[in-house]
Amino acid sequence: MNFKFQVPPAPPSVGTGAVWRAGSSFKFPVLCVILFSVILFHIKPVLAEMTPKEVLSKADEARGNVEGVEWEIKIESVENDRTQKRTLRIKARDFNSLAEFLSPPKVKGRKLLMIDRNMWFIKPGLKKPVPISPRQKLMGGASNGDIASTNYAGDYDATLVSEDTVNGEPCLLFNLVAHTKKVTYDRIRYWISRDRLIGVKAEFFTVSGKMFKSATFEYENSILIHGKPKPFVSKMVITDAVVKGNITTMRYGKVKIKKIPDSTFNLNLLVR
Amino acid sequence: MRNKILFIIWLLSWPTVSMAQGSNSVMEKAVKKDSTQLRNELSEGLEYSLRFLTFGTYQKIADSSQNPNNDFFQISRYSTALDLRPDLRLNFRRLDLSAKPRMNLEWNVWEDGVRDGDTDWDDDWFVNEWLARIQVTESVFISYGRENLQWGPSSLFSPSNPFFRDNGRSNPKREVPGMDFFRLVWLPKMSWTISFIANVDEGRQGFPYYEFDKTYALKLDFSGQESYASVILSHQESDRNRLGVFGGWTATDALLIYGEGTISRGSNALYPKKTDNPFGATMEEIDDKDTSLKGTILAGGSYTLEIGPTLTIEYVHNGPGYSDGEANAYYRLRQEASDAYYLADPIQGLSKLTLSQTADPKLRLLRRNYIMLQYHQNDIRDVLNLTFRWTHNIDDSSGQFISIVDFFAGDHTQIFFIGGVNSGSGDTEFGTILEHHCMIGVEYTF
Repeated sequence: MNFKFQVPPAPPSVGTGAVWRAGSSFKFPVLCVILFSVILFHIKPVLAEMTPKEVLSKADEARGNVEGVEWEIKIESVENDRTQKRTLRIKARDFNSLAEFLSPPKVKGRKLLMIDRNMWFIKPGLKKPVPISPRQKLMGGASNGDIASTNYAGDYDATLVSEDTVNGEPCLLFNLVAHTKKVTYDRIRYWISRDRLIGVKAEFFTVSGKMFKSATFEYENSILIHGKPKPFVSKMVITDAVVKGNITTMRYGKVKIKKIPDSTFNLNLLVR
Repeated sequence: MRNKILFIIWLLSWPTVSMAQGSNSVMEKAVKKDSTQLRNELSEGLEYSLRFLTFGTYQKIADSSQNPNNDFFQISRYSTALDLRPDLRLNFRRLDLSAKPRMNLEWNVWEDGVRDGDTDWDDDWFVNEWLARIQVTESVFISYGRENLQWGPSSLFSPSNPFFRDNGRSNPKREVPGMDFFRLVWLPKMSWTISFIANVDEGRQGFPYYEFDKTYALKLDFSGQESYASVILSHQESDRNRLGVFGGWTATDALLIYGEGTISRGSNALYPKKTDNPFGATMEEIDDKDTSLKGTILAGGSYTLEIGPTLTIEYVHNGPGYSDGEANAYYRLRQEASDAYYLADPIQGLSKLTLSQTADPKLRLLRRNYIMLQYHQNDIRDVLNLTFRWTHNIDDSSGQFISIVDFFAGDHTQIFFIGGVNSGSGDTEFGTILEHHCMIGVEYTF
């Protein structure tokens, strides 16, 4: 699935920021038109030349799929009127991640190591790492796969379905179908911002085609990739499709782009 | 040359000199910056936790020839304990230091055998594990310390591990005593790890019936996209080479398939052999010089249901285990030794020697075929962890049921219950030592 998709039309609001005022010279609106044209002709071909996979790769970057990143996630889950909280420190690189549970004390010291699709769970006091499946739930609506960096570009075949808006933001709506059975979700409807190239909304489906949860994303964090600031996920809100009141909120903070060495993901060195 | 020497002297005396030059504000700032950075590094690298456990246990001793009237093992009926378990760790630049000092106070009550009515207080202060590790290069690590080295995907036991018989999973509240290891770990690539491991001292592990022998191992680990595998070549002094393997595959989002095994030429296990002694047989290493391959294979899989629980099944074929004929001879010999336990020496001495050999015939599992079924679910409504495990000895039809229940009462307090029921007569594997046992306690994490 490596086709080029059609250039979506520019949103109607674009270009209306410059207001001509009586008595002012024509220079300002003219400049705006020129600037707009430059931006339009500069951006449009870039977006037009991107395959869905490339668009997804860009969106993946903003959800941790970079060379090396460390962040903290505060998870708050409301499930059947019960609220649970966890704080985790995540170290991630490529498709590998190590999650260390920081609080509450009852779970402090637990570790979850993910090397591609292989996952191990380590409990303090129990020195033997236990291999676990990606399906095992982390907490509330969050699966183990949700705390790791996202690799939708590698795991799914993407088709551009249509254009849509999410909270007024123009988005490209992709239909993602897993090309491997090893992923947490079989099918995802994924809204990627046209302008920012980041995922802003997702709906997750079971094999039978039934939606079982949806998520929205915010990107208040910023990271430097090749010296350039890029938006980075700051909040993910997962809502259960069946019981609407079951909501899991993941807040991402203390984001550091740093070199994460191989030894971080090595079981021989991890268990102490 | 002179300049170099002066530079080295300046470098060595720099902290002192710079402290003395109070008026030199640049130097002062640099020292301050350095010491602040050092403090930050140390505080960032320091991790600690403290757990406090108190628990009581009850054990119903089985009526078996291995433990006549409980006079051989002398197992207490009741016990209560108080444990303090701090875990300390400092990660500073290339150095990693950790220590797990322990305090254990225990009170035991006996109601069976020669110690019936006896009570005993015991206090134990020790370091169960400690480690000093240095990162020599980005990919080479050298460590020495007292460790509990565990690996492999299986739940029941880890045949590929030449060092530890107990993987700690039947009772997670009892810490496996550490042994002393030197380790060199090399990561040539992300997917590959090569380790040289030398087990140089028994540490806190007890070897009541045999001498400790040093063991050396070379371990090669591979981790792929959805699978992993390891090969362990080991040699035990005064014994033989062993080849251990384990591997796993994340078959789907919910299904894991794995295997583990070990193979060696011959075996140092003890088997009953007919002799002219008063019991008619002795326990001997009859396969010691045998060059045929003997192995243990474990195959397993686990499946996580949509609603949460994970179901696990494991099958073990234990090649060196006893056949029906060998098992009959073993139990016959054990009964003879048990019957002679209260006779005068030298028969009693022979009885004790025989029972110590039958208690640990150097086999991790006594028979050849086993199956294990397990139900496990973590964080049920954020307050409950459940594990139920049934292990069945297919050859003698004995079994063991273990339940591990953790209930969280708040963010710090955990109430736990670990219970076990063994089925089978005294002349079966799981019916040999305990009929049933339970442990109830509270763990508080600060």
